[in-house]
Amino acid sequence: MTQLFGTNGIRGIIGEDMSSGFAHDIGRAWGSYLQKTQSSPHLAIATDARLSNQMIKSALISGLLSTGVDVTDCGLAPTPALQYAVHTSDEFSGGIIITASHNPPEFNGIKGVDESGTELTKTTEEEIEKHYFSKDFHTADWKSLGKYCINSSIIDRYIDAIIESVDVDLIAKQKFHVVLDCGNGAGSVATPALLKKLGCKVTELNCIADGTFPAHPSEPLPENLSELIETVPKVKADVGVAQDGDADRAIFVDHTGTYLWGDKTLSVVAEYLTKDSPNQTVATPVTTSSCLADVVAANNCTLITTKVGSPIVAREMIKHKCIFGGEENGGLIFPSLHYCRDSAMSIAVLLEIMAKSQKSLKDLVLQIPVYEMFKTKMPCPNEKKRPLMDAVKKQLKTDPSIIRIDETDGIKFYLETGWVLMRPSGTEPLFRIYSEAKDARTAKDLARAYQSLASDLISQL
Amino acid sequence: MNQTAVSPHIFRAYDIRGIYNEDIDPTLFYKIGLAAGTYLQKNLKGKTMTAGADIRCSSPTLLHSFVSGVLATGANITMTGITSFGQTLFNGCKQNDDLISFVTASHLPAEWNGIKFYYGDGVGLPTEELNKIRDNVLDDSFELKGFDGIGQIRSVEPTQPYIDFFKDHFSYSKKLNVAVDCGGASMTLSAPHVMKALGVDVSEVFCTPNPLFSDRPSEPKPDNLSALIDTISRDGCDFGVAFDGDGDRSVIIDDRGVALSSDETGILLGKYGFSKHEGVVIVNVECSKAVSEQLTPLGFSVKQIPVGHTHLTLHAKKECSPLGIESSGHLILPNYFLFDDALIVPLKIAEILDESEQSLSELRRDIPIYPLSKKEIKCPDDLKFEVIEKLKVQLQKEYDDVNTMDGIRVNEEQGWSLIRASNTSPIIRVTTEADDKISLEQISSHFVELTQKLVESMQD
Repeated sequence: MTQLFGTNGIRGIIGEDMSSGFAHDIGRAWGSYLQKTQSSPHLAIATDARLSNQMIKSALISGLLSTGVDVTDCGLAPTPALQYAVHTSDEFSGGIIITASHNPPEFNGIKGVDESGTELTKTTEEEIEKHYFSKDFHTADWKSLGKYCINSSIIDRYIDAIIESVDVDLIAKQKFHVVLDCGNGAGSVATPALLKKLGCKVTELNCIADGTFPAHPSEPLPENLSELIETVPKVKADVGVAQDGDADRAIFVDHTGTYLWGDKTLSVVAEYLTKDSPNQTVATPVTTSSCLADVVAANNCTLITTKVGSPIVAREMIKHKCIFGGEENGGLIFPSLHYCRDSAMSIAVLLEIMAKSQKSLKDLVLQIPVYEMFKTKMPCPNEKKRPLMDAVKKQLKTDPSIIRIDETDGIKFYLETGWVLMRPSGTEPLFRIYSEAKDARTAKDLARAYQSLASDLISQL
Repeated sequence: MNQTAVSPHIFRAYDIRGIYNEDIDPTLFYKIGLAAGTYLQKNLKGKTMTAGADIRCSSPTLLHSFVSGVLATGANITMTGITSFGQTLFNGCKQNDDLISFVTASHLPAEWNGIKFYYGDGVGLPTEELNKIRDNVLDDSFELKGFDGIGQIRSVEPTQPYIDFFKDHFSYSKKLNVAVDCGGASMTLSAPHVMKALGVDVSEVFCTPNPLFSDRPSEPKPDNLSALIDTISRDGCDFGVAFDGDGDRSVIIDDRGVALSSDETGILLGKYGFSKHEGVVIVNVECSKAVSEQLTPLGFSVKQIPVGHTHLTLHAKKECSPLGIESSGHLILPNYFLFDDALIVPLKIAEILDESEQSLSELRRDIPIYPLSKKEIKCPDDLKFEVIEKLKVQLQKEYDDVNTMDGIRVNEEQGWSLIRASNTSPIIRVTTEADDKISLEQISSHFVELTQKLVESMQD
């Protein structure tokens, strides 16, 4: 169990648990681990647009160099651009992104990728933590210190790679009008250029990188995207899109200004990619709506469910040679480019789908089966999580109304009317309960029923 | 970062220096960054600092941790990156930043590193100001900012504006051939490029970056410059130039392969490098009496200052000097800039040769070289300054012309002697220059004996 690394790297608040001193020591720990496992480690580093980035990055670079690891500084870039650079280069044995994704501006974080550009495994993160906590740092002598250089071309190469992955001529012919909201995040330095190369007319909202996030919080939730939602129908655009802080996730708004949850776009893309490719595999976490399962099954493909967390989805996709995968939060993974969430690629592919089908995004979404999800949570002390899970499992196994149980992450069980997922939170003293059914009422009833079961069980513990 | 004990001896009069992993490391440089950022805002009421580093192996890690510390205090950084000394100072002055920092250990061996500070106009930080940064480090006296007050880095391309500046100020009508010895050090990043851009034929000696300094020692003493001297004769160069590790000192070698002392180079610059011979030439107390003898009759006045290149820039600014000469090899031409970028010296020598019918060896013929002697007397550290104080009182009574601004310089008809305690070793140095060898021997032995006796009597 890692103590510093969460689902998506290390996160902290500047001046509290994230500082230059901490970043320097993480650099030393990371470098010491790499020195033990690689012959000539060389990391590529990029940042999102946060105010504390330069400070954290400088400290981290200094720590890495002091262990003899070479560093290439790729500047401000979307997370997937750095991942693509690492994935496609023989030079880099891994990469680090300084980002706290969608967190508020006082946060920052450090996220690592291996030589394939995919997020580090838990095992690697644990090894780095061991070096950090034991202060087991490799100190290179003055002759073997790491070398530092700057590379400012990774974004151009990344954009070109996306352009090559889609039918650019077909997309350009449509002359799509796209409203783009980068939320002043890292997407600002890449996505407007990509859309222009795709021949789109772009209405830019908040496309200047600014770590104060002056326009709205960087998590692309409906309440944060009112400007985008209003602008799309007002300017008569074909589609609107918002990226999160480090531009690995994209959320779409159709031409009427309707906000589309991530499972809709996930399913639209899955439908497109599996339609003429039977017997392929798609991956998604257990939390994703059944609409994706229906689409994949209808095209004679297999859906694999994984634990929650994009690094896990990516690793499962590699293992099962999936053609597509992703999360319901707008993080879509296209193995044709690389095994990581990529918002710019999502935009390009969605435009390709609209161009090929000659349908609006609204119409494409209408073809996706509709389910209603309900999410709730209840307090549960950390030490009671495990016993509660065991008690729930025991109880459920005697429940005749349950058709199937999936224990990938927590416990997800399917009933005639829908499914319920019960899982302890990884970070907070909470027990989460999700449910899904064809209508909102049934979903809510399901969740409430099993919440009361869990409450009873917890009081008996 | 780790709390490591800071050795106070790394803080010297004009810079911070130490051996990497022994005296200095990234953790310490992070603290120096915090200290300098705090000093910049609290004492100078400034907000922006230029930061660059020489070519040493340990420069990138030290520069990055230093910069991280500065940013944590809320000061902004103009980053020049890995450059020669002059490139960073030039860009810092151009940006009009409040402070300029350069990670370097000057001419010291490759395992050393350190940092120097300059004001935004290119004047070096005097000791008492540098001590404020030191005290911030030793006392952990830092002012950190929250996430919304953290400083930002602005990177600048350090080479092109620098080249353009010299192109604006120098052009040669002759095809000059200059041998350039960068010793594989920081000047490899600028000197050959600037000279070529000015149309000079460059014979390169150790002009490929080699941070191990394995081509030759980074101190450009004539003994270390045989490759350069060979190249001058092989290629028939008009002259040669060798630089130290970071590029704030140069040595000029004439067309016959003979090295010029810093004083000689300074005299040539004064004699032939100006259309008007006016203003105050700044020289330190160790400089040859030839400087004054040669330059005063032309119309310059000559002012002596204490030893140390920081004094050079400080006094040159105060006096609006056209020229400053430090016997250790720092030469400044403040009509271009105040800081001691050694590249200006060969460019100016080239200009002189471009306008002259004579070769460098011919031009220097008129400059007298007086015999010089340097003697060292052992004296415990706790006694050496007391000895100097006693001698001061005694010699001021005995001689008419005594200068006590830095040690004791006694000027006589046939020569002079400077008695000065070393700042770093248990030694008193007696430097003497005279018209001839006999006078030299007389003057030198007199002051050496005098000092020796006093040291002995005070030890009893």
